[in-house]
Amino acid sequence: MTRIKTNFRGLRALVLHGEGATTDRLAGILQRLGLIVLFHDPAETEAAALPECDLVLFDADEEIEASVLDRLAATLPMIALIGNEAPSRLARVVRFRCNSHILKPIRSMGVYSALLLATNGHEQHLQTCREIESFRQRLAGRRTVTKAVLKQMTLCGIDEDTAYEELRRRAMELRVPIETAARMTLDPSDTESLPSPCRRPRKA
Amino acid sequence: MSGDTVKVGIMFSLTGSYAAIGAAMRAGADLAIAELNARPDSNLRLESVFADPKGDAAAYADVARRLLTDRGLTHVIGCYTSSSRKEVLPVFEKHDALLWYPSHYEGFESSENVVYTGAAPNQHVLPLASYLLHNHGGRGWFVGSNYVWAWENNRILRETMLAEGGEVLGERYFPVGDTDLEDVVRQIVEDRPDFIFTTLIGESGYQFCRLLRAEAERMGIDQAARMPVASCSLSEAELPHLGAAADGHLSSSVYFSTIETAENARFSALWRERYAHLGNPCADAEATYIAVRLLAGAIERAGDTSFHAVREAVRGLKLDAPQGPVTVDADNLHCAMRPRIGRSRQDGTFDVVFAAQSVAAPDPYLVWSGAEAPDAQSTPHHLKVIR
Repeated sequence: MTRIKTNFRGLRALVLHGEGATTDRLAGILQRLGLIVLFHDPAETEAAALPECDLVLFDADEEIEASVLDRLAATLPMIALIGNEAPSRLARVVRFRCNSHILKPIRSMGVYSALLLATNGHEQHLQTCREIESFRQRLAGRRTVTKAVLKQMTLCGIDEDTAYEELRRRAMELRVPIETAARMTLDPSDTESLPSPCRRPRKA
Repeated sequence: MSGDTVKVGIMFSLTGSYAAIGAAMRAGADLAIAELNARPDSNLRLESVFADPKGDAAAYADVARRLLTDRGLTHVIGCYTSSSRKEVLPVFEKHDALLWYPSHYEGFESSENVVYTGAAPNQHVLPLASYLLHNHGGRGWFVGSNYVWAWENNRILRETMLAEGGEVLGERYFPVGDTDLEDVVRQIVEDRPDFIFTTLIGESGYQFCRLLRAEAERMGIDQAARMPVASCSLSEAELPHLGAAADGHLSSSVYFSTIETAENARFSALWRERYAHLGNPCADAEATYIAVRLLAGAIERAGDTSFHAVREAVRGLKLDAPQGPVTVDADNLHCAMRPRIGRSRQDGTFDVVFAAQSVAAPDPYLVWSGAEAPDAQSTPHHLKVIR
């Protein structure tokens, strides 16, 4: 099992919630857990004005500008502060891909769980995104690889397995992804992606 | 309030698998109440209202509710296990009442309705991990009762050990009260660990120590020296239950009956006068004694017995306790106390083999004492560590 994050000391938590007992209580608990708390009035969420932070806790009951939350949710763990269970409010929580939530009124119990689930859930989400991106790249290169294998088969009169094996061996020798080796097989002048020592001078 | 009698709930299990500790904790509360009531210079009188949930975790919430509603109490000293504390927490929150929880525990809680007078994990688990690594080695076998006390302590110890290059040879859990431990004992002795960390509580723990000692002797191994049992809960109240296997076990605690302070000499003498039949005073009894004294101190400081007034008054309160100076942390309502490690003796006491240089501030979430602050968990997930 991958070790999870259990300590949030020094993380900057941006609280988008109006002033009052909820904010005070939440700030006290977050500080006890070692976080640095930054407040921002949800009514004034001008894009440039938001401070840099590591995670966001936002009031799910208020109509905070969706574009602002969308932008934050793209890169940061999001925790919804929920006081109203009306579906229209909760729909926003889903849309902003919240990794966890805290129910209002806030108790000391529940905040640590929400932090732990949000930061670790966000980490897993980033990992999934990286995997999807890498699959996407490989998928895009699939056609090139097939074409390169076919070219080798006709050119050298070998079977598909041997042609693929050749291509793979070449990629390993050059230390490049198989898709790059395939592109070079199809167009030997294409040496753009090679590490510099292997790169041949381009034709004038 | 002057001249008033304040009723205080005392809630411990005197039957069930951890009855020995329950009896010692009740004695600690009774001792403090008797002592406070005998003070000529104070009008405050405490009257105990005792309730026994009989070791059944599910019964605790109901017993607590009756104390708070039927008896109208605001302050209850009680609970030994974490499962029982978790059961009663919502009841205390609902009724604006304060639970004075007098036992060491695994941390990761900080309720506004609880004053914690036992050790937090940075005051007993972490010091034990460091002591074991430096004095006995890094190969451990973990055995525990199947509930959160064991799971969480084992996690903390395991992560600390692994970070230092140690190794966990085995980890097994048993139902609370289970004494069918022959197989695991044989396995442990066969594996020859550097130490055995036990979080077995009550009867299971006593039986484990007896069986382990017997099996080691059969194999010609000096168990106490070669593979000591280490725990964060073994106390003076339990040593008499271990019979001939009482000596040579390590325990991490903020209190031992052998600590040399004037307060402890006084406390121990009073204890022996009244409760000699319970063995020597133990950490949980002392924590209960502290809880009652802090409650009285907070009521006197506040001039009021209400929940909010007493909770505010207890923040930062200091006490000269048998273990030494104890201060209630103003933020998390746990206590600053001095970590120690003892090695048990056949006479039912502990030799203190390690004492921290000073008191340790309570850190229930291991925010400041944990090895793994965010900046230390540095390897990004998409990079592999090549060894």
